[in-house]
Amino acid sequence: MSEVAQVMILGLLQGGVYALMASGLTLMFGVMRIVNLAHGVFIIAACYVAYFLFVGPGWDPFASLLVTIPLFFLLGMVIYRSLFPRIEGSQRFSEMTVLLTFGIALVVEGFLSYFFTGTFRSTNPPYTTDAILIGDLFIPTAQLYASMTSLILLLALWGFLFLTRTGYAVRATMQNRTAAQIVGVNVRRISTIAFAIGMALAGASGSLISFLYPFFPNSHWRWIAILLALIVLGGLGSLKGAVVGALMLAVAAAFVSDMFGATWAPITFFGALFLVLLIRPQGLFGREARV
Amino acid sequence: MALLELQEVTSGYAFGPDILQSVSLTVDEGRAYCIIGPNGAGKSTVLKTVAGLLRPREGQVLLDGTSIGGLRPDLVLAAGICYVPQDRSLFPDMTVKENLVMGGFLQPDRKVVSERIEQIFDMFPILRSRAGQHAGTMSGGEQQMLALGRALMTQPRMMMIDEPSLGLAPQVADQIFETIASLRQMGITLLLVEQNVLRGLEATQDAFLLDLGTLRLEAPSDRILDDPRIRELYLGRQLQRGTEAETREN
Repeated sequence: MSEVAQVMILGLLQGGVYALMASGLTLMFGVMRIVNLAHGVFIIAACYVAYFLFVGPGWDPFASLLVTIPLFFLLGMVIYRSLFPRIEGSQRFSEMTVLLTFGIALVVEGFLSYFFTGTFRSTNPPYTTDAILIGDLFIPTAQLYASMTSLILLLALWGFLFLTRTGYAVRATMQNRTAAQIVGVNVRRISTIAFAIGMALAGASGSLISFLYPFFPNSHWRWIAILLALIVLGGLGSLKGAVVGALMLAVAAAFVSDMFGATWAPITFFGALFLVLLIRPQGLFGREARV
Repeated sequence: MALLELQEVTSGYAFGPDILQSVSLTVDEGRAYCIIGPNGAGKSTVLKTVAGLLRPREGQVLLDGTSIGGLRPDLVLAAGICYVPQDRSLFPDMTVKENLVMGGFLQPDRKVVSERIEQIFDMFPILRSRAGQHAGTMSGGEQQMLALGRALMTQPRMMMIDEPSLGLAPQVADQIFETIASLRQMGITLLLVEQNVLRGLEATQDAFLLDLGTLRLEAPSDRILDDPRIRELYLGRQLQRGTEAETREN
């Protein structure tokens, strides 16, 4: 019994961070129909920011959030405004964004490799090896802190979306872009904000995973593959779905890893993706495609 | 007085061909107009171009003599023209009340928004009783009322309504047209696109006949209804179909 509880806890702790990463991705799809294959590479780029703040001035990765969040927010505004208006209005906008963001991912990965080489790195603040013991249950401190921080950031996102005027406009645009336009929402502005928030979430995720999972420039492909599986399970463009999907799959992966070994954990995500597409292609909280 | 003026407007969808070709028309303040014509004539394109959802490729769109062509939709709305599209474009996962709140998006004063919502509820009692329901779960007629109510939240000078009776049962369509009549009494200038030509003409004073993206005819609505030659030349099939539907209903 306690072993089941133990695996559940480890899974949920991982899921918290996955949820943060996936929420940025699903927000971009929900508001703008952008499939952002570069989401992972920006998370890794943020890992490097956290890393150099750690080995240089000795900042704790949590302190680096103060840099990564605003930095990636601004970067998001610049990238959205400079690249996406060119393909706006295209009949195949979503497909175009796949190509565009794939290109961005390759370029950013190239820069990261050129400057920082392909060496595995990670920040290692003192608490990475600590754990809290409650009875038999083992709770790794670093994972706990990271998922608590994710939870706080997700609550802040929720508060923004449901309690502010701009948040209402973002949700309205997610539900029906034309409708948002005809009630007076400046959707270009809202799209820029939503993209920037998605990027800020990628930045925050980078700070958090910099001490949880060792990274190198190429490791973003592994992340984007997992994240896409998560948001397809939740329903593309559904924030609630991204969070629930992340928690479910992280727990499932923890069980697979416990039973068959860690090598098999990634197959959980792709197996789930396969099943979702087969049985319920719109995902848990997605709406069926309307014509 | 001319409220809205289109001067030789050419327009179409992104990366697509021209749908409207050099269309000129004038809408006077306080009057009701109907755009009629076969499918693909460009009726909706006129409304979308005025609403700012499409950018005119050539020509001018003037509101009170000032150019609004190519302006962002939110700025056109702020200038007093609101648009109710064919699919109603509600926020399906928001409640009726939240949809109305979104209708008041341009009004920063929340108290004013609440007052207007009360007015809308007085006008459409059904919406009051459905206030907490998600818009996507309502019937077609209720959705159309919500779309009209949400549009009224902006207190527009002019409303452009695309196919208000589309997909509605005749009795429900009657209710919608009663509402449209009351919009006229409120002094709102109306520009209607209506597939059911008879209803559309009865609800309006003047009509524009569009065909293949050009304006063929501009005449008082009742003259089109009464003139057998115009009926036959331009509306033969359509009007017959409309009349049949009307007879069946009665």
